Amino acid sequence: MRRYLTGRLLQAVSVVFLVTTLTFLLVQLAPGDPVSAALERPGVSEQVRAQWRAQFGLDRPIGEQYVRWLASIPRGELGYSFSHRRPVRDVLAEALPRTLLLVGLALSLSFALGIAIGVLQAERLGTALDKWLGRVLLVLYSVPDFWLALVALLLFAYKLPILPPGGIVDPVMHDYLPLGERVLDRLAHLVLPVLTLTLLSSAVIARHQRSALLDVLPSDWMRTALAKGLSWRHAVRRHALRNSLLSTITIAGLSLPALAAGAIFIERVYSWPGMGLVTVNAIGARDYPLITASVLVISIVVVLGALAADLAVAVADPRVRMR
Amino acid sequence: MTRLSLALLRRIPRSALLALFAAAVMSCKGADAPSSGTGDVGGTLVIAIPGDVGTLVPGLVASQADRQVTDMLYDRLADIGDEMVTIGDKGFKPQLAERWQWAPDSLSIAFMLNPRARWHDGRPVRASDVRFSLALSKDPAFGSPVAPLIGNVDSVSVKDSLTAIAWFKKRAPEQFYDLVYQIVIVPEHILGNTPVAQLKTADVARRGIGSGRFRLASWQPGQRIELISDTANYRGRAKLDRVVFASSPDFNSAAARFFSGEADMFEMLRPEQIAKLQGDTLHKVVRYPSFQYAYLAFNLVDPKQTSRPHPIFGDRAVRRALTMAVDRRAMLRNVFDTLGTLIYGPFPGTVAVADTGLPQIPFDTVKSRALLDSAGWVPGADGIRVKSGRRLEFGLSTPSSSAQRHAYAVLLQAALRRVGAAVTLDETDFATFAAKQATHGFDAELAVYVTDPSPSGFKQSWTTAGIARDGSNFPSYSNPIVDALLDSASSAFDASRTKSYARRAFETIIEDAPGIWLYQPPTIAGLHKRIRTTTLRPDGYWSHLADWWIPAGERTSRDQIGLRAAQ
Amino acid sequence: MRDALQTTATRPVLSRLSRDGRARAAAVVLLVVIGAALLAPVLAPYDPAAQLDIVRLNGQSPSWAHPLGTDPFSRDVLSRLIWGTRISLAIAFVAVTLSMTLGIFVGAIAGYAGGMTDAVLMRLVDTAMSIPRLLLLIAVVALWHSVSIPALTLLLAGTGWFAVSRLTRAETLVVRERDFVVAARMLGASPWRILSRHVLPNVMAPGLVAATLGIANVILLEAGLSYLGIGVRAPSASWGGIIQDGAERVGDLWWLTLFPGLSILITVFACNALGDALRDALDPRQLAVSLGDDTSHHPR
Repeated sequence: MRRYLTGRLLQAVSVVFLVTTLTFLLVQLAPGDPVSAALERPGVSEQVRAQWRAQFGLDRPIGEQYVRWLASIPRGELGYSFSHRRPVRDVLAEALPRTLLLVGLALSLSFALGIAIGVLQAERLGTALDKWLGRVLLVLYSVPDFWLALVALLLFAYKLPILPPGGIVDPVMHDYLPLGERVLDRLAHLVLPVLTLTLLSSAVIARHQRSALLDVLPSDWMRTALAKGLSWRHAVRRHALRNSLLSTITIAGLSLPALAAGAIFIERVYSWPGMGLVTVNAIGARDYPLITASVLVISIVVVLGALAADLAVAVADPRVRMR
Repeated sequence: MTRLSLALLRRIPRSALLALFAAAVMSCKGADAPSSGTGDVGGTLVIAIPGDVGTLVPGLVASQADRQVTDMLYDRLADIGDEMVTIGDKGFKPQLAERWQWAPDSLSIAFMLNPRARWHDGRPVRASDVRFSLALSKDPAFGSPVAPLIGNVDSVSVKDSLTAIAWFKKRAPEQFYDLVYQIVIVPEHILGNTPVAQLKTADVARRGIGSGRFRLASWQPGQRIELISDTANYRGRAKLDRVVFASSPDFNSAAARFFSGEADMFEMLRPEQIAKLQGDTLHKVVRYPSFQYAYLAFNLVDPKQTSRPHPIFGDRAVRRALTMAVDRRAMLRNVFDTLGTLIYGPFPGTVAVADTGLPQIPFDTVKSRALLDSAGWVPGADGIRVKSGRRLEFGLSTPSSSAQRHAYAVLLQAALRRVGAAVTLDETDFATFAAKQATHGFDAELAVYVTDPSPSGFKQSWTTAGIARDGSNFPSYSNPIVDALLDSASSAFDASRTKSYARRAFETIIEDAPGIWLYQPPTIAGLHKRIRTTTLRPDGYWSHLADWWIPAGERTSRDQIGLRAAQ
Repeated sequence: MRDALQTTATRPVLSRLSRDGRARAAAVVLLVVIGAALLAPVLAPYDPAAQLDIVRLNGQSPSWAHPLGTDPFSRDVLSRLIWGTRISLAIAFVAVTLSMTLGIFVGAIAGYAGGMTDAVLMRLVDTAMSIPRLLLLIAVVALWHSVSIPALTLLLAGTGWFAVSRLTRAETLVVRERDFVVAARMLGASPWRILSRHVLPNVMAPGLVAATLGIANVILLEAGLSYLGIGVRAPSASWGGIIQDGAERVGDLWWLTLFPGLSILITVFACNALGDALRDALDPRQLAVSLGDDTSHHPR
């Protein structure tokens, strides 16, 4: 167990290290440099640009810049965002909780929904309900995220304006509302992004839940259970579900990158100022320090998520625990 | 020291009297009440803006949003007035300077500051702030875009704490305007302690302490910036309690905010959105003038080596031929429906020197092809013209943030293809676009210029001197006749002579075809019906925003917030 | 069990597939889509880039002359959609072919060489898989301003081979230790011969499923990038590009969002359905194990 844990942790750390290096290289290879992009106004003299380069250490050799960059990360010094004109840390400290809220809610909801649907399908294996649910899930699995979000926005914010068209709160009134209404305002802004993301990712989870259940069901162990006279449904619920959950947790861990990517589109369409939107905007503004830092942070969160999923499985699954 | 305190003493009776008067006026308007007030005082205006505010330091403004907010937070010495006369001081209305006095030789002007003027942190506005503001704008390390416009202003000296004397290098028709319009007065005690080169990133750049009728209440980057009425302001409190700029990541979501009612104003409606507002009982459409014009700029020099002429556009005949291939009216109609305004040269119709009757290069594809043939560009196998091995192919640079320019780029690409020119669309983020523009590193680009009301702005854009890094002559257009004419235009003391020089300059530029004159962006705002506006000026509809009001009977819950701070 | 599957696979798989209604329907849809792409010059009523009449024909709603309407530049949306099929499918097919090849190549090397090579390669693959693919693509495309269609295809290929390489590696590790392979090696068979004779056939089946799903995946990615305005450039039409053309006008020119969106949905749905059917036909149990993380990789 301890060896497994140590190995898994080391792996996570090395992945984070490689991601860091990769993002650094990516930005180094890209044409232009942060200063030419940041000092967008033509009036800025070469002298000022040079001062800026010096101020941000961009005039140093690449190797030194790389070491500085690596050294600054553990200290949480992620550089200065040229487009926000604030330290990157401050920008991300605001954006990250918003995305975690959005993705966390969507992930919990889609877990509940996905597992429920998967179980329902397995219980009614081969029935019309199973088939139809399968098709609906495949449609959700195939729909472009941004397109579903756009259609939902069009329907529920423009044509039938019952929900706000974006943002996390009412831009003006929120801070002046009484507590109860403030909560309502927040919830109203959460509905569309969370629901869209939930629909998209519950399709993934439900498909896996169903096949995970089927993987467990005809095993010898289940055969014994059935031979003892348990009904199919009972067998699914009582015995198979528990065993199948492990693989669903693993799946959830592995689908985190996809969920993060989905969140980029959702945040963009619904103007949700989280990591995804910050990153897309930073790329538009060629704000290199912000781009590298946010790619890094998203990757770290994803790696941690996968790690957590693996550890959860390790704790729950005796086979892994033994290793 | 003694002189200074004496000067203060001398002023005390008068300023006390004024303060008393002001207090009387304000209290009868109920300005000191923390709630939303009575009469026409109170209420909230929410403006949806695409993008975000980047800086609160006036000299560093880079976007329209930056400019809007800083204009509302900071005052100048005087306001140009609604007539926007740039010669002499006619029409200028006192702001921080309650009066001014010209020296007999016109080489200096003494500005007497309003003794009641206060920064939003309570400190008085002093003559040294004026001196600091000018010095900052001229400092090359600061990199202010107005630096090249204030060359004639030599310095400001402090006579006493309330008297600043501006010194000029030479007597010029627009010397007053140069100083008063271009220099926004900023607080030395806030900005003066930070090294100039670091002002862009320093925290003080985000505090927004000015002397305007609105003060900064809060700023949540990427979300909103909130201004509230400065109730103790020397020019009287702003009628609205608060103005909120709600930022959205793009144009569409900003528009959505307006239509959903989260915002009261959206300043750049498009034709189809205006159609949507017909019969809308909540909103109204307000057209406001602007000083913008958009054109396709041909780079006359080789982007790779700017000392050489451009291999395609160096030839005047080719530029004229390409201009003839473009049906400007049809494109205007396509992009703006019936709301667009054509331009007839390198100027918007709103400036005083505009002349929309100048002779134009006609739309004539037959003539265009003939002209290209005779210039040596003959159609190759794929229909694209070729001259001595070089294809008639070039990039058209546009910023991806502008939907209008994207539309024009696609239309121009198809139109020029019809006469045998291949255009590749080079859409980049705004920063990259601007960098290419400044270094003349493009083939052709869709440029939008915001001129200022004065003819000297045209000098920056169209004379040989403007090719330098400071100027905005991005196509590197150079014609000594135009240089001389625009020089005369900006040094004439008489408006009609200015206009006639400018007219002749424009005529020459149009004939030389350094660009295809496309449109004046229609500036049409959507506004909630309850908002009452005053004069909307072309240099910024927000010039008089502190006088906008909401009738007491039409207020919504949003207007009841009053002046209290957010919880 | 694996060997049994491998040797008897092809025939029963095809017959099982042809009996699967899902697979038949998906195949028909895909054939129609591919047909549209191949016959674009014949099928499209107009030149997809032609601006027919920028004053009178811009933003027309669907009519007999323009069944799917026109866009803001008076171009015929149906023609653009048909030609866009060509671009979107071509990008997807080429990108997936390349990434499969690359994935198999790297996976085989890692599995065959073992040791440090294997450890380093697989750690790199782990890293790449933990960065959302979309994020990586956005970063690369945006930092380099604009990319041509071939470059975009290469990028999509270059970011799509990770899962396949793990699959191949796992398969190679298994095959490597088999008696007859060990024997072949001792007799001096070249690594390539062993790979092509013994490893590739085993990888083919799951690889085919991964490729089908990969095509769906790439179509979605290309659409997403074009929607963000950093994919295929004007005046070329890709499905995502048409949606982007109408994104600013989604309120009134709904046909620019609806039809290409449905085209993407239907094509991707067909690919995924075919992939599902293929997997079931190939033996669900075996594939569920060996495909592992690949199928769990949500197509975005």
